[in-house]
Amino acid sequence: MLAAHGVVKRYGARRALDGFDLTVQAGEIVGLIGHNGAGKTTFVEVVTGVVRPDEGQVSVGGVDVRRDPRGARRHVGVAPQALALYISATAGENLRLFAALAGLHGRAQHQAVAQVAEEMQLTGVLSQRAGLLSGGQQRRIQAAAALIGDAPLLLLDEPTAGADPQTRAALLEAVRVRAARGAAVLYTTHYLPELTDLGATLAVARAGRVIARGSQQSLLSGLPGELRLRFADETPGCWDPAAAPEDRLRSAAGRATDIFALPAPISARATAVDGELRISSTDPPADLAALLAAGCSPAAVDVRRPALDDLYNSLAPEASDAAA
Amino acid sequence: MLLHDTAFPRPAVPSRLAIPDSWRASASRIGAIVRHNTILLLREPGPLASRLILPVAFLALLHPLYQAAQGHDAGARQAVIATLVTFSLLGLSIVGGSILTERMWRTWGRLRMTAIRPAELLAGKGVPVLVAMLTQQAIVIGFGVGVLGLHVASPVLLMTAVLAWTLALIGMGAAIGVLARSLAELSVIFDVGGMILSSLGGALVPLTAMPGWVRHIAPASPGYWAVSVLHAALSGDAAGTLRASAVLAGFGLACGVVAAVRADRGAVRTATM
Repeated sequence: MLAAHGVVKRYGARRALDGFDLTVQAGEIVGLIGHNGAGKTTFVEVVTGVVRPDEGQVSVGGVDVRRDPRGARRHVGVAPQALALYISATAGENLRLFAALAGLHGRAQHQAVAQVAEEMQLTGVLSQRAGLLSGGQQRRIQAAAALIGDAPLLLLDEPTAGADPQTRAALLEAVRVRAARGAAVLYTTHYLPELTDLGATLAVARAGRVIARGSQQSLLSGLPGELRLRFADETPGCWDPAAAPEDRLRSAAGRATDIFALPAPISARATAVDGELRISSTDPPADLAALLAAGCSPAAVDVRRPALDDLYNSLAPEASDAAA
Repeated sequence: MLLHDTAFPRPAVPSRLAIPDSWRASASRIGAIVRHNTILLLREPGPLASRLILPVAFLALLHPLYQAAQGHDAGARQAVIATLVTFSLLGLSIVGGSILTERMWRTWGRLRMTAIRPAELLAGKGVPVLVAMLTQQAIVIGFGVGVLGLHVASPVLLMTAVLAWTLALIGMGAAIGVLARSLAELSVIFDVGGMILSSLGGALVPLTAMPGWVRHIAPASPGYWAVSVLHAALSGDAAGTLRASAVLAGFGLACGVVAAVRADRGAVRTATM
């Protein structure tokens, strides 16, 4: 449904997009993540045809966005990152406008507005001015305007930014429903648990290009997890006998080697934080086994597998990641 | 883990929203914008009401002055033309304001993400304003005819003149609306620019009573052509009316093209004030 290849967009000397490649299939939800300035919003603007790329190809539903941007837009429902509502119009009037622009009229328009309002829990506020509604309700109107035409491609650019849990839950459910019906969804967000909830595949953007693409499982498999160990005061085998009891778990990060008598390969990855020992590990069960074999007897063990936050945090922002 | 599975291009998926008759679809989109902008215009009726009421108050108060200076008929004509041109120029703010407000609300950029064309968007925004401005001018002319005894030699020519002037106004207002960077800037352009253009055109004071240099540069002002077309239409001069109408229509068209191009190419995220 969406295919982009080698997309370049320059603003003066800066390359907002620098060879951006991405495909989204019908029925697929793709979470596009990356730091501010990575090119996410610029890419959304390119797909909607309002920003013209300098190089590369983008097609939506087989329509070349550069040649026929308006034709491509007929396939797209967009929720931009910034709120864009007619604040002196009612919620219903906002939705009716976008329904009409999506080609819905008369009874079909009435039904579509009623349906999406119910889906986004807006039925009770349809006759109220958008500018008088809460931030969460405004977010829901914005999302509803994107959903109302049942477009085959949804571009949702941080649609839950600043939204309350109710808004988030309603939107995620609506997205799941659309994807199940066959819509392709490109979802940018900094709230990574949302992508887990949606079961989205991931595209990781950095400095204007997609540097990693795949399922959450495949992208997380290369990242370290963590072993978190707590000890009773007189736990045998782990302590450096020379360390005073009160110092054993108060050491700063990086001093674990000095304080704990751990096997060398593990101690190199260990830090003491908030009274517990944290060991970065690509294979936590094996490391735990090694510790136990070395005579270490923790009172409590927490095995923390890598999460999307770890993937996100592994992407150090670059100098070129200027503000979007 | 690295992405390079760009299966490109994908086969075309028929649009669910495709409408076979592109003209009908275009009219439908324009209709939606017209409807919506009428709602917005009537939701905050203060500026519109003041643009409709103030000219009549101005005319009622000042027409004795014009009639004392120029006689009954010529004075009535000058008073009506002065009021109509000056207040319709001030009414430009309705056009520009409606566009700039959309940019401040970011809805301008949002609409550009739909299938609507810039020309359709401008047309849809222009129609309610066209009706408002025609109403304003009809009220002024109606007051002139009914109360001041203004003589209209040819209603058809007068309608032509008013329509040409109104289209020029909408073109100018749209261009200023897409180019202005803030409400304050817009306000200065409309207030100062409106008074300068109407004065330069000889609306408030006849050009014959103005310094020579003003008469020299007056044709550069659309206000001049507005005054010309109204004088010609009121006196039944068909050639003069058509010539001045053509100049005004050309002026409006040129401004409209500037507005449409800017609307199509302007940056989306720089639309906030």
